[in-house]
Amino acid sequence: MSDLALLIPELILVVMAVGLILVARRIQRTPVAPVGTVFAAMAAALASGWVLSWGSKTGFGGMIILDGYSQFFKILSAATLALAVLLSVRSLDGEQVPRAEYHALLLLATTGMMLAVSAHDLLPLYLSLETMTLCSYILVGIRVERPSSNEAAIKYFLLGSFASALLIYGISLTYGVTGTTDFAGITAALSGHGPGTNLLLLVAIGLVSAGLAFKIAAVPLHAWAPDAYQGASAPVAAFLAAGSKAVGLAALGRVCLAAYSSEGHVLSAVLAWLAGLSIVVGSIIALSQTDMKRLLAYSSITHAGYALLGLIAGTPDGASATMTYAFFYVFMTLGAFGVVIALGERGEKLDGYRGLAAQRPGTAVLMLVFLMSLIGIPPTAGFAAKFVVILSVVRSGHMALAVLAVVCSVVSAFFYMRVAVFMYMNEPQESPPARFPVAVFAALAVAALVTVIGGISPGSLAPWAVSP
Amino acid sequence: MIPYPVLTTTTFLPLVGAAFILLFGSERVARWVALITTLVTLTASLPLYLFFDKASSALQFVESADWIPSLNIAYGMGVDGISLPFIFLATLLTILCIGASWEAIRVRVREFYAALLVAETAMIGLFSASNLFLFFVFWELMLVPVFLLIGVWGGPGRVYASIKFLVFTFSGSVLMLVGMIAIYRSCGTLDFKALALARASLQPADQAWLFAAFLAAFAVKVPMFPLHTWLPNAHTEAPTAGSVILAGILLKMGAYGFLRVSLPILPQGVQLFLKPMLIISVVAIVWGAYVTLVQTDVKRLIAFSSVSHMGFVTLGIFTLNPGGVEGAILQMINHGIISAALFLCVGMIYERTHTREIKDYGGVAKTAPVYSTLLALFCLAAAGTPGLNSFVGEFLIVGGAFKTQAWLGAMAVWGVALGTAYLIWLYYRVVMGEMNPGLTGLKLELNAREVATLAPLAALAVCLGLYPECVLSYLRAPVTQLLATRIAP
Repeated sequence: MSDLALLIPELILVVMAVGLILVARRIQRTPVAPVGTVFAAMAAALASGWVLSWGSKTGFGGMIILDGYSQFFKILSAATLALAVLLSVRSLDGEQVPRAEYHALLLLATTGMMLAVSAHDLLPLYLSLETMTLCSYILVGIRVERPSSNEAAIKYFLLGSFASALLIYGISLTYGVTGTTDFAGITAALSGHGPGTNLLLLVAIGLVSAGLAFKIAAVPLHAWAPDAYQGASAPVAAFLAAGSKAVGLAALGRVCLAAYSSEGHVLSAVLAWLAGLSIVVGSIIALSQTDMKRLLAYSSITHAGYALLGLIAGTPDGASATMTYAFFYVFMTLGAFGVVIALGERGEKLDGYRGLAAQRPGTAVLMLVFLMSLIGIPPTAGFAAKFVVILSVVRSGHMALAVLAVVCSVVSAFFYMRVAVFMYMNEPQESPPARFPVAVFAALAVAALVTVIGGISPGSLAPWAVSP
Repeated sequence: MIPYPVLTTTTFLPLVGAAFILLFGSERVARWVALITTLVTLTASLPLYLFFDKASSALQFVESADWIPSLNIAYGMGVDGISLPFIFLATLLTILCIGASWEAIRVRVREFYAALLVAETAMIGLFSASNLFLFFVFWELMLVPVFLLIGVWGGPGRVYASIKFLVFTFSGSVLMLVGMIAIYRSCGTLDFKALALARASLQPADQAWLFAAFLAAFAVKVPMFPLHTWLPNAHTEAPTAGSVILAGILLKMGAYGFLRVSLPILPQGVQLFLKPMLIISVVAIVWGAYVTLVQTDVKRLIAFSSVSHMGFVTLGIFTLNPGGVEGAILQMINHGIISAALFLCVGMIYERTHTREIKDYGGVAKTAPVYSTLLALFCLAAAGTPGLNSFVGEFLIVGGAFKTQAWLGAMAVWGVALGTAYLIWLYYRVVMGEMNPGLTGLKLELNAREVATLAPLAALAVCLGLYPECVLSYLRAPVTQLLATRIAP
């Protein structure tokens, strides 16, 4: 019983998901599903905080851990779910998407995320990540009548299966070396070896890192993201960009610090390469994008790189820098996707932003705030996030990587500001977009508030960003 | 003594005004709200000048609050004699910008004034910040409003100019970010005063590259040769108010950075880069002046003259003697006044003629005597005529340069001579001679609003020329302190 109590947040989501599926036929035309899902997300977030008040503990024979780190990401996942649901309110209207199932899949994917961040064993980690990814495959392809959506789902599925295979292969090699899949057990088993001596272990670490790098779309395992985001509906893309990335980072952070910490050097090198490549490749390819969802996909690849910078140091400080980054990133990226969604069809291509500031000044200002945050210009949260991760890199002594990261942020400033140029400095070519629903407005307001307040008072987050 | 935190109030009042305009203002009231906000801001800043202790080199009106306790970063404000004149300049110029934009800005009026007010907050905040983190925040905050000012309300090439401005300045400032973080890692603090004491923990090799990192940011803003290429585009394409902000304040931010960060915190880095700095300063002076001579566009001419004039400023700073540094700071103020005035003059006549080509002008004096008189005053001031403000600044800088190395002084004098040439020639071609047929029928004379906009600057140019002590007296104590601590190991 006490073990199950650790999973109250997940249970709330699962119960809601099952409930929605059971009554799916009756609620297809009613707002029950979105409203219920938002409330379930809020309840899960509250429960995550409440469960933490019992103190850190492990359950299910050490497979599940409950600590500040896990609950931080659980609350973040719940927030992602709630905002994604609010953002999908209108985009579901014109589509042949079964509402109850759509929301049930979002709930189940979030359940997977929550389990993944509290996994303290490679196998539950794998299973929960697969839960998340399987739901994501369907969500990407849920607009069944659209060929682009189907294509995106298939691509995502094929590449995703490949990455899962890498992950499970890495896990099996780790088991071969250490005789356990439990994080504590792995650390104990490895403490006897000299670091870097066991080739099999190095391969295992590489494979596990690769499997997790896929989830956060770090280069060179990023290829799925642009296609999947473009083919998926914008709210699903937002959900993937924010949630999947945050959880991938959380898992990677836990694996680095809790399981393979004795191989810190190897991990640092692997992560440094992943981060550097993601930042460079993501920001350069983004320059030529004209589709907003693809643009934001490459932006998310770049941000995966920035977030990884914190983990390179392999220290608790570095991990909390990554946590801060993930937190702010989720809100600013959901905000940017939110504007894309609010503008409807027009928002999905770069040209649609021409003259937006003349037609919808408020929406344009919101987008400008999110863009500034994505670039990392103060006083927005993106700057605070960039500051802490670069501080972490500088502390770890990778000065060249720090310079590379900031120089690439100039490149990214160029492509983000192109949107601002279109909004402010071009004449409108299309009729003004329709007013957007209150739900979308609420989501945008939350994202904007976090983005601005996070920039003005970044310290307010610090007490919660505690590494594993 | 004073019932409110002066610096914080002065800094953030414009931001409140901007928020008010965006949220509630209509197109019609926006400019009134902006005008009132800037006037109130100036009034709110008055205690700074009334209660300032000139004899002290310490920061005054200090305000401090916890900000990011986990990183030991505080919110800290404070001014000394170096920053005070710039706060005055920023508050004054913003008011004049509103005067100049009163009728010129007709589209997206609300956003224009909001952007202007955000820029004012960034400018005042930058000069009031007492720690590097806050300095950097305001430094970056300046980026987006100026980007929009150029890109939305500028001339035909505005989009290119605004993007070039953004890419140049942002490239510099991200390197400053890395530098700042590296300093933070070594010293554990970002407070200017604490850093000047903790700088011993920075190794000479570190100081060299840290200086280079900050140089990247400051040199772009100043701008120093060869990083000045964004300036002609940005200044030329910006609307008048944008040019005034750019030339009047934004260029000073870089030089101010040298005084606030490089000199006190990185003395060994400065020593290492001293020669190159002096050389590129005189190159900027002389080369900038020659390039200015051949310009055919009035606004571009004035823009390029800034490269030459700011060369004087960096030359003065890196002479590292009291005369040179005081002269450099005085010259920053002077240049802020004069180049702002010149851009205002150009903007006012452009609104009537819609051409910036010098060859389309001529004989303006015949129909616009007041305008011609004021322009003459500002041209003479810019050329360094005795009795007007630039003379004192340039005299001090050249004197400082001669003390350092005679040939530097000689080159600087050469620059002064060229400056006279391009300004007098400009004045000759625009104002004197026969009336250009294209100008007939246009009402070129200034109206009362425009005269009122230029009058404060004219008064300042004369006042500072006749009695420079009113700025210099503020500078003496902090500059002495700055150079004394710099020389000590």
